[in-house]
Order: sequence, then structure tokens, then C-alpha cells
Amino acid sequence: MHPVRLAVLTVVCLLLSGLAGAAAYFFPVVVAGVGQTGQTVVVPPSSTGRASPTPSAPPGAPFTVLLLGSDDDSKFQADHVLTQSMILVRVEPTSKRVTMLSIPRDLWVPLSTGGSAKIDAAYSYGGAAAAIATVERNFHVRVDEYAWIGLKGLIKLIDRLGGIDLFVTNPVLDDFYPNDIDVKNFYGYRRVAVLPGAQHLDGSSALQYVRSRHNDINGDFGRSARQQQVLLGIKAKASTLSPADLPDIVDALKGEFKTSMGLDRVRSLLGVANAFDLTNTKQIVLYVPLFTSYGQISGQSVILPHWNQILPVVKANFP
Amino acid sequence: MILRRIAAILFLPMMLAFGSGVYLYLGTMKSKVVKERAQLPTATKPKFVLPGTMFVVQGGRLFKLNAGSFTEIGPAGDWSQPAVTPDHTRLIAVLRSGQSSDLYVLDLDGHVLKRLTKDDSRIIDANHWVFYPRVSPDGTNLFYAYDSPKHVTGAPGVDLTIWSMPLNGTQREAHVRSAPYWYSGGDVSPIPLAGTGLIFVRHSIDPSTAVHSQILFQSRPGAVVKSLTNLADNCSQPALSPDGTQLAMICTGGKQTAKVEVAPFTGSALGPAKVLLDGRLYAAPAWSPDGKALAYFAPAGAAGHFQLWYLALPNLAPSASASASATPSAGATSSVRASASPTPTPPVPVQVTQGVDLSATSPPAWF
Repeated sequence: MHPVRLAVLTVVCLLLSGLAGAAAYFFPVVVAGVGQTGQTVVVPPSSTGRASPTPSAPPGAPFTVLLLGSDDDSKFQADHVLTQSMILVRVEPTSKRVTMLSIPRDLWVPLSTGGSAKIDAAYSYGGAAAAIATVERNFHVRVDEYAWIGLKGLIKLIDRLGGIDLFVTNPVLDDFYPNDIDVKNFYGYRRVAVLPGAQHLDGSSALQYVRSRHNDINGDFGRSARQQQVLLGIKAKASTLSPADLPDIVDALKGEFKTSMGLDRVRSLLGVANAFDLTNTKQIVLYVPLFTSYGQISGQSVILPHWNQILPVVKANFP
Repeated sequence: MILRRIAAILFLPMMLAFGSGVYLYLGTMKSKVVKERAQLPTATKPKFVLPGTMFVVQGGRLFKLNAGSFTEIGPAGDWSQPAVTPDHTRLIAVLRSGQSSDLYVLDLDGHVLKRLTKDDSRIIDANHWVFYPRVSPDGTNLFYAYDSPKHVTGAPGVDLTIWSMPLNGTQREAHVRSAPYWYSGGDVSPIPLAGTGLIFVRHSIDPSTAVHSQILFQSRPGAVVKSLTNLADNCSQPALSPDGTQLAMICTGGKQTAKVEVAPFTGSALGPAKVLLDGRLYAAPAWSPDGKALAYFAPAGAAGHFQLWYLALPNLAPSASASASATPSAGATSSVRASASPTPTPPVPVQVTQGVDLSATSPPAWF
């Protein structure tokens, strides 16, 4: 064989085998990319003339993501879960600004699927499409993307990140914390105690911190503030990842994460995460009494929205 | 033809090896965040030899640091928050189970001498938490944060209250020492003073729903508490110097980063605070035996595990003006705090440990 041909053949073979090695390494990411990202959501038409399916904002333009966190234990059928956490996040890739607005899970609103209920039920009745449509119609905001994560997914994600660092502002103690993960009797309770101060939290401790609400005078609002805090902790930690970490992260989130975002949008989001700066992050919680009030409807404890206070804030921060 | 076959046979293992090499190489490109696992303190060598003896906690295990090396002490279990008795002969530590925690007396080699509390129960909400043990300077009384009484009416709730009991007595002889702000998590970090005085941290939630931590002083049981720090400064984790004249603390101002501050303590009031460190997640300051340095925890490295740090202190003797401006009332506290200023020549922290993952909610016990 001619030496030149041999050399070319060698290089081609090495390239092919190198690509094969890389492909094998990133295969789980590709599978997840196909299965878990780019989820098509058909949002029902609304009075604002919202088209379906969800059209994406152009690359580089600000976009709004609805983050959904759910109980996904055995109490619920798959994809008919309540959303314990609903956070609207506006990302401005150019200025690297992030705005977060927590929506109380007990907020009493008309659902896109019909009737009125607590907003956490929207997802259980109609999945992500219903959750998005309900938020869009009530908050007069456009949701470009959504991302859903289950409780176990959150634990695994934080553990795969090696834990997160944050400052716990006060002791979080709860005698009635749901004992529903990887147990037979998922209606049980257990006691938890997360002590105050700066600390390194693993996935289980972080979940206790964001999920506990029985001993917080701010109730679900206090929990919402803690959820935003943990989200920032995750974001800070995620900004130190390299692409080689993706297979591990994807493996952690297997079946526990869904998003409408395509890989382009995910990349844009990671760009913001890399340039993460707390001073560029605005956090909004719809506290009582200004934005909401407590009430009782059909024997349920609910939170009633003060739309005249909420909508101007939403309009100003989610234009 | 034969040569081509030989070449193909040679190429196949080469391609396989190269492809595998690329796969393995990508695995090595993972960030330290994902790869880094904490080592046991006993597997590491401190980078700096601290004076005296210190007890710290990692993953529920107690470690003694002495003469530049770590030794694991104590039986298996989820141990935390060791505190040394004033005569330096015993430790009081928290042993946590799934639903409760208890206080134990141990010798300095970790042998359990006595169980002080019994907080476990088969009925879930009849269990109790006890944390932050601290022995009074005369060695007779033990102070701690205990989640009793619980709220039996209204929303279910549990908050920590400061209690005290005779160190050689029983839990039945314990007395309530504080009245926490309900549904805030309660009162923590008691520091009994000589006589009947007590410093502790109260958590509260203001009308705007913001959560605060504040260091308080109580002259005797039942007395009205006085604020040592301003509510908005969100100070906590107090540590009193061995001579009782300086108070180190962590203040966040409501942010997600912290400051290490030191202020002169008159016995009932704080003078102007000096900001020693600012802008990171600092935790659990503890004084050196000679009162000339602080140890504390802060993350180091990409993994964010908390390491032990040492900070030699500048001259912290209170100036005449500082003493004059120290006032005990809550209202005056803000003016004291307003005069807090960074030290002219900032002290330089020294990282003591590397690669470990120390519990930042268990302050170092150092003597």
C-alpha cells in the first residue's frame, strides 16, 4: 500500500473511532435530548389569541420559562401530579438578567381545562399545556417554554452536582413532613430539621428545605422563597459544569425531567448560568396581604389573588 | 491482498483502543464539582497546625484535631455540635436519629459517659429535637435549644426554645429560658455567661414577611431580652472570646453571603463591630484558646465543601469612643451598628483543611 494512502486511511480510521467513542459517551445525552427536551406543547387558544403549538422566541431574545416541580411519588398516576412549585422565570440572554416569580400552589384561579381550582391542579388535569394556559390566561403573560422536574429528580440532580451551598436563614422544623419517597406507605409523615446558617446541602436535605411548610408563618410563601433560593444554588453550581458532565446529569434526571426547550434554548440558558450574578437576579413572591389573601372555598384553604396588585408587577417584569 | 488483510486486522484493535481512549478521556474531563468526593479528615493532613485541641464534625462523625492531625472519636452515629465543658474534661454532643436528637456526655476520647436527654418516641410528634448544647462557665448548668413546648392549637408547629438543666441532673429539672417567635424556627445558639446572663439568637419574621436573626441578651431568667444587634443586620452564630470581652458573629444583612464580625462585649451590650471578612458563605466562628484568633468554616474549591479556616486577629481592644457608644437598647443598636467599619489592614485567612467536608452547622469546639 502506498504510504500516503496508508497515512490517510489511518487518520480516517482514528477519526471515525474517536467519533464513535465520543458518540458512545454522549449517547445518553442524545437519547435524553430526543426524549426529554423539545417536548411539544399544544396550548389551547385563549382570549388573547394565543396560537398553538407554542411558538418559540427568536434566538437571543428574552424568553419566559414556567418551572414546574411536582410530587411524583406513588400517590399519583404518572403525569397526573400536582405541581407543588410553579415559578415563572424570565431570562434575558443579552443582559444576563433573570427574574423569578413564584406562583402560590393554593392560588384559586379559573383553570384552562374548565372550572376553578387551586392552580396546582392544572397540570394534573391537562399536563404542561393546561398549566401553561392557566398561567398565561390568569397572569396575562406569555410562556415560551416550560420545564418540569419531579421530587426524586431534584434530589438526584443536586446529588449529582455534589450538593449546593446556601445560607439557611432560620431553622426549618416540621413534624408533618411527607414521608412519601421510596416507601410503601406514601401517606406517612416524618420529622425533619434543617438548622440555620451557611451549609452544604445534599439532595435530600435540600428537598426538605424547599418542601417543608408546616412550621413557616409565611406558609407556602416562605417555601416559595426557599425554592427560589435553592434554584439559585443549583444554578450557581451548574455554572461550573463541563459538557463532559452531561451524561451523569442526564442519567440523574431520567424520567424525572421534561422540557419544551430545544438544545439551542438550553445552550442559551447555560450561557446565562455561566454569567450568573446574584445582583442580576430579581425574586418576586406574591405575599399576603399585598398580592394575595387567605380564604376558604368548598372547605379548602385557598389563596385568593389580588389581580389589581399582581398584574402590574407581572406586566413590569414579564413584558 | 494479504498485506491489506494484515493491515485491517491491525487497524481494528487500534481503532477500538482509540475509540475507548476518547471515551475514557471525556470521562476525565468532568468538572471537579461532579468528581470531587470529600475525604475523611483522618486521611488528610492539615495545612496549618492550630494551637490547642479542636473538635469538629463531618458526616455525623466526631473528629479531634490536635497537634496537626485528626483522630476520629466516638461511637458510630449521627453526631453533631460538640461543646467542651469549662474544665476541658468532657464533651457534650448531639446524637441525632431519624426523628429526634439527644444530648450525651462523652470524654475527650469519645467514650459515652452519660445520656442526658430522652427525646425519642414511637408517636411521631411526641419526638423532640435538641441542639446547640453549651455548659455554663461554672460548669453546673447545661443550656440548649429544645423544641418544646409545641403548638397544640392552630397550625401544627414546632420551634426551638432555650432551656437549661443541671449538668449533673435530669431533664425533669430543666427550665425554659426563652419565648421564641412562633413558626419562625425559634431560638438557637445559647451562650451562658458568668452569673445569670445569657446570649442567644432569635429568629423572627417581620410584617413584610422577611425572616430575621438577631443576637439577644437576657440578664436573668424571665428578664426582658435586649437586642445586641440590629434586626436588619441578620446576625447569628455568636461566639464569646475566652476572656468574655469580644463577641464574634456572622451577619448577612439578608443576603446570601455573610460577614464575619467582631464587637467588644461589655457584659450586657455590644460596641461597634469590625467587619473582618465579607462576601462569602462563612459559618460557625470559634475563638482560639488565647483569644487572638478565630477559626471558622467556609467553602473552598469548586465542590463547595466547607473547610476549616484560621484567622489571626488584629488588635481588637475597644477604643474609648467605642466603649462609650456601646448601649444595650434595641433602638441604640442601630447607631452602634452604623459605625461598624472594616479594619484598616484586613487580616488574611489561612486555609487549615483541604478536601474534607466539615459540618458547618457544628461550630468547632476549641480549647
